[in-house]
Amino acid sequence: MDILVYGTINSVTLSLLSLGFTLVYSISRLPNFAHGALYITTGYFIYLFLNGLGLSYPLSIIFGIALTSLIGAMMYRLILIRIRGMEISEIIATYAIGLAMIEGLRWGGLRGTTFTLPSFASGSRDILGVSVDDQRLLVVVVGFAVFALLYFFVRLTRNGLALRGIAQDERAAMMLGIDSDRMAVVSFAMGSSLAGLSAALILPLGNIVVEAGYNVLVFSIAVSVIGGLGSWSGAIIASFIIGFAQILTEKFLSSHFQMVIALLAIIITLLIKPSGILGRQKELEERV
Amino acid sequence: MRKRLGKSVGIVVAVMFFLVGFTNIAPAAEKPIVIGAPLSTAFLYGWDAERGIKLAVEEINAAGGVKVGGKKRPFSVEVIDTRDLEPSVPVSDALLGLEKLILDKNADFIIGGPVRSEAALAAMDLLNKYKKVSILSTGVLTPAYHKKVAENYAKYKYCFRITSHVIVMANEFVTLLADIKKGHGFNKVYIMVQDVAHARGGGEAMKKMLAASGWDVVDMKIFPTGTTDFSMALNDVAKTQADIIFLWMDMPESAILLKQWSGMKLKALPMGFVNAAEQPGFWKATEGKGEFLIVNLVNGGNAPAKITPWTMKFANAYEKRWGLEPEGYGTSSSYMAVYTLKEAIEKAGAIDADAVITALENVNLMGVYGRISFDKATHQVIASDDPKLGAVTGIIQWQKGKRVQVFPPNVAEAKILLPPWMKK
Repeated sequence: MDILVYGTINSVTLSLLSLGFTLVYSISRLPNFAHGALYITTGYFIYLFLNGLGLSYPLSIIFGIALTSLIGAMMYRLILIRIRGMEISEIIATYAIGLAMIEGLRWGGLRGTTFTLPSFASGSRDILGVSVDDQRLLVVVVGFAVFALLYFFVRLTRNGLALRGIAQDERAAMMLGIDSDRMAVVSFAMGSSLAGLSAALILPLGNIVVEAGYNVLVFSIAVSVIGGLGSWSGAIIASFIIGFAQILTEKFLSSHFQMVIALLAIIITLLIKPSGILGRQKELEERV
Repeated sequence: MRKRLGKSVGIVVAVMFFLVGFTNIAPAAEKPIVIGAPLSTAFLYGWDAERGIKLAVEEINAAGGVKVGGKKRPFSVEVIDTRDLEPSVPVSDALLGLEKLILDKNADFIIGGPVRSEAALAAMDLLNKYKKVSILSTGVLTPAYHKKVAENYAKYKYCFRITSHVIVMANEFVTLLADIKKGHGFNKVYIMVQDVAHARGGGEAMKKMLAASGWDVVDMKIFPTGTTDFSMALNDVAKTQADIIFLWMDMPESAILLKQWSGMKLKALPMGFVNAAEQPGFWKATEGKGEFLIVNLVNGGNAPAKITPWTMKFANAYEKRWGLEPEGYGTSSSYMAVYTLKEAIEKAGAIDADAVITALENVNLMGVYGRISFDKATHQVIASDDPKLGAVTGIIQWQKGKRVQVFPPNVAEAKILLPPWMKK
């Protein structure tokens, strides 16, 4: 039973961490290697609003996520728009932005283990006979709520449908009057907000350390590659595969192979199905 | 008119220069003795060592400096960020930093790091090349450091270490656990370590030593750096009914483990080498959930304690200077390294390397964490559980928001407390 409970928690956490990365790629076809940096920057913003400006916790979270969302949008509007379509430049530019943000935070004083955010819920409870922290349960609940909201957003709202249109066929969408650059800005803002939301939920479990930015990026890439680049449902399936594989590894092998499992899964996916579980991009290219 | 104004201004300026010149009349300052400090300053063991060194230098300079051959010379400090504790930074970068301190900054002595064992071991050859005496005061817990000195004294005689190492620490833990076993009837230990060399080594050593001393070592789990969920292992602790969770971790995420332990109200007392729990800010960071954790701070005085008369004097001075209590491993030892060097230079009457080495080998100084003296063959500080005889450890327990010295018994200020949910 502990495998089921902890596997689900781990999987939803991974989904939340990587959903923003997948969303940005699916719409703008831009790999946002600054995703981990945006995650940790939101945590630091919330910390500063809460402890530096003395704002209330909910307000700090709202402002923190809003500011990160703005940074994401500006990243596209000011930098990435100029190099869109040049794949290597896109990777280098987003990685450089991420690196500058993370190392900038370190240089600016985000060092040590004492930067923390308060938990929304302390204590723990038994779920199916397994002890679970309340904060992690909250992560799962909000995680499922985010999946549902995104599902309805892209199916029922005008902006959501436009995003889907761009994701499916950019040229056709443009012919129908959808502004590709505007949608890319929206996708970057939304992707950054998702990174921020996951930070607000997950960082209270531990501390705000810059190294977490790199870890989040590694897991986001692993989930996206395995799920299929740009496939949202593929990303969620991949999160569950990696999440449960990690828990099974910890249970039956050893916990220090957890990171190895994620990287091994990337290699196996690339060998067997390079387009990922639900990715069709490569398959289409091959067919053409 | 303009000419007269210019003349007046000229006279005023000349008078000012004259006055300033006279008020600054003082004997020509002696050339400072330069201490080079190669430290990974983005990490606790780097920045607290830097603060310890600077505090000692300021105190010594304020008292007149170091007496060398009838003259009083001040100390000056040059710190370089070696970044050796940062992931994926190669050892060669730390060595470049050290070399820069020696060649560009003209360091006469090296105090502090490099902080990571691999970098410090590699730096020993550089210290020999440039004949620079070094007192290692932070990081580097590997016994290989002092063993290397013993194996090739002529080459590595420049290297001294004023802090402890894993073998001493493991023995301290075993003694402490024997006391706990006697007092509470505990018998089962669950070991959790981080997937880094020193932690795996420490965990393995503890596993063998505890098994040899009659403990039932239930399991040893190794966690990758950056692990953010310890639920599975903690659930395992509950199932196996372990009495002690022994930790050896330097990753910040170990604070999560303590939060989860407290949330689950596990009937197992956590203790070990936990970097995240060393700093005074740990209490706030865990919202008090780290209470009852027992942590080895490697040397006494890294938290306020009454080990020697100097301990609290140092703790108060540190708090006055830096606005917080001594922060953790590397603080008191780096501070003492400067005073020990001063003592040796004054005894030697020169800053010549060979003379200072001989003086350091014979140093006998009652310091912040006990008597400071070095083993002549290994240049390792002599450890003891009695501050009158040697350097004493700083094993503390978090009690009501304070770090309270609980071991060794000679200098303990309180008994070890169990969490309320563990009381029978």
